[in-house]
Amino acid sequence: MDFLDFFYIRSREARHALEQARARLYRVAYAWCHNAALADDLVQETLTKALRKSAQLRDPKARDAWLFTILANCYRDHFRKTREMDDIDEIEISHETTPESESSRTEIVGLVRATIARLPQGQRQVVTLVDLEGFSYVEVSQILEVPIGTVMSRLCRARNAMKAMLLPAMQQNPDMNRVIRRIK
Amino acid sequence: MSQDKRFSDEFLNAFVDNQLAAEEKSQAFVEIGQDEALNRQVCELRKLHDLVQLAYSEPPAAPARAVGLNSRQARLRFGVAASVLLTLGIVLGSQIRMPATTPSVTAVPAAEIQQVARIASPTKPIQPKAAALADVADRVASQQTATAIPAAETTAVPVPVIARDAIPDNTTTKVLIHLARDDADQLSQALDDIESTLKHYRETRQSAHVEVVVNGKGLELVRIDTSAFAGRIQRLQREYDNLTFAACQNTIDRLAREQGIVVRLLPGVITIDSGMAEIMRRQNQGWTYLQV
Repeated sequence: MDFLDFFYIRSREARHALEQARARLYRVAYAWCHNAALADDLVQETLTKALRKSAQLRDPKARDAWLFTILANCYRDHFRKTREMDDIDEIEISHETTPESESSRTEIVGLVRATIARLPQGQRQVVTLVDLEGFSYVEVSQILEVPIGTVMSRLCRARNAMKAMLLPAMQQNPDMNRVIRRIK
Repeated sequence: MSQDKRFSDEFLNAFVDNQLAAEEKSQAFVEIGQDEALNRQVCELRKLHDLVQLAYSEPPAAPARAVGLNSRQARLRFGVAASVLLTLGIVLGSQIRMPATTPSVTAVPAAEIQQVARIASPTKPIQPKAAALADVADRVASQQTATAIPAAETTAVPVPVIARDAIPDNTTTKVLIHLARDDADQLSQALDDIESTLKHYRETRQSAHVEVVVNGKGLELVRIDTSAFAGRIQRLQREYDNLTFAACQNTIDRLAREQGIVVRLLPGVITIDSGMAEIMRRQNQGWTYLQV
């Protein structure tokens, strides 16, 4: 049934670009929800929508921001369905669901993920879009549909919180710093 | 302006994220380089940035996705498959209905005349007059036509066998098209419509017959000396054996009587006693009537 895809995507290039974007979308989606299955679902839904609406994308240079906008909408919709009354910015993921236990790689990775998972959702989205994808503040404000001032303040609060949580832990454990130095 | 205010946390973050204008950035570089505390802050922010990248450089693999369970895609594909099957069913169904299995139960004399005409036809094509005679033999109001057809006799061109009365009874679609005007545009349009209709029936493998009845000024379409579409009509007749052109004998007679015109019809065009009578007969037989 591949011929159906032909109708959705006019050019091979666009299709190729979408396939390339999958890994990046998944990485950010995972950083947002810390749930591999949910992240995969979100990416799948994002790509499905992107395929369907590919005609709407006029400027290929804006493809990345466009894709992440769709991802942000899918993520928001998902939480609309599952949480009814909570303010999305105020939600803190509880310790039980942190990926600390799930991570079998290094302690530092688990610690950073746990820290990010504990950030309020809005802050988590901003910090991951900026740090993982390198989006500019303007692009992040468009993707998340919030004013640029909000982007900056969320980023600032997120990093302050991460600093407060991460750096003392790393100072207590000199091994972690060694890991980081080696990577750098 | 105090240093604290100029280098707010937001400013430092923007500096680390390369979001400052070039001028602002170069100025900040100088000032941050001179201030150890600011330098340390910037280092910490960069470290955080790197930590985030490290933490998600290899996210856990997504669980295996069950193929075909994506609800929207599955629904869409199911829908397409269903419509393809439906179309296939309709086409097959119409094909199954097509073969002629029911014997004719219409008037015997007409069938006999047909047979005679067919036997005679392979070696010697019948003339329009003969066809007209065969045609009207079983009809009530045929005497006048059968006896006086001077115009048709003048048609020197041999006419191929006309399947006029050989229309199978199980023909599902029977269309009678009535042309009574000589407007070239209208006639051209009518021929377009006729051709596309026949083409459609052929493509959909439907059993159909189209009869074009010309009378009045419409007769000009099928006269050798006046027809603007002679070639096209002949081509259509060659291509479609389920197409008949029938000229009204009353009109032919009137032209001869009133204007002294000896009508010569295009090859393959048959004559009928009366256009109007034919229309009524065909309608009684369940034909679809279309007037151009």
